[in-house]
Amino acid sequence: MVKKILIVDDSPIARKMLKSILPKDQGYEFYEAENGKDGLEKYKDLKPDVTFMDLTMPVMTGFEAIEEIIKYDKNALIIVVTADVQMKALKAALDLGAYMVLKKPLKREDLHAALMKAQDSLQRVE
Amino acid sequence: MALQKEMTLTKEEIETLQEIMNIAFGQSASDLAVVIDTQVVLSVPFIEIMNITELPGYIKSHVKDYKYINIVEQKFWGRFKGDALLIFSSGSGKELISMLQSEESLNLESDPIDVLERETLMEVGNILIGACIGKIAELLQDIVTYTPPMAVVETYYYDAISVSHYDPRSTAIVLKTDFRFDEGNVSGFLFLVTSHESINWLKEALRLFLEQYE
Repeated sequence: MVKKILIVDDSPIARKMLKSILPKDQGYEFYEAENGKDGLEKYKDLKPDVTFMDLTMPVMTGFEAIEEIIKYDKNALIIVVTADVQMKALKAALDLGAYMVLKKPLKREDLHAALMKAQDSLQRVE
Repeated sequence: MALQKEMTLTKEEIETLQEIMNIAFGQSASDLAVVIDTQVVLSVPFIEIMNITELPGYIKSHVKDYKYINIVEQKFWGRFKGDALLIFSSGSGKELISMLQSEESLNLESDPIDVLERETLMEVGNILIGACIGKIAELLQDIVTYTPPMAVVETYYYDAISVSHYDPRSTAIVLKTDFRFDEGNVSGFLFLVTSHESINWLKEALRLFLEQYE
């Protein structure tokens, strides 16, 4: 079951926007990080079921954070949420081990579909 | 500067505008990447509010390391209106020519290099500025039109930026982002300068944008 969700994005508004369109009745626990480094540390502390990761961030980019998280936990479910919609950037994120990519601005239906898919993957692992 | 910021946009409005700029420049980089087979490495956008007289100093402080710069300027107007200044590092024009055209299609005999450079900068500028402003307008439910791009090639940075055509009493909202290309020695800044005349509309548009996420 997806319970713990970590949102890594330097923009407080982007984090707020993402949380606001997630289903309210699923009892999710939200945790937030404002850059890749913070996200990596919180990942290690919290072991979230799903991590939403921006790519363009100060201190440590999303690319670097994905690489480090996957090194730490190869089964990490990282969903990239990014404004950098260049094919090369999206491919690079997937090559580093991201589970899937979603483009900003996020659409509610895309986010829900991504979570359902993540839920299925988690159940298969469990 | 801090006082002006409080008078014009709230912290939440600035953060929202930053995120919108982030989405918009991401879109324009993607559009350009379709034309040029390289990745545009993006950075976090930044919003600054200042008196218009401070604008040249602000821009110069960012581009001074380039010494010589290439500028593409386009004005845009809708309810969101202002100037877009795309500033490339020295040598970017020639780099872009080689990235955009294969050697076979590069006809230097009929196209003098300075003309080609100017046209290439205008074309790339048009893509980046048009897609960025267009996306901002779309997200804020506006429609904008543009002047044709103008390019200034390899000019000394210090002499390049003037605000003589602005009302010196006006306040500028400056949206800035910087970028570099993954391949080729091309980097630069995009500055979008909108005046306080847009502020009431902008505040309402940002409120409506955020309302979708309440």
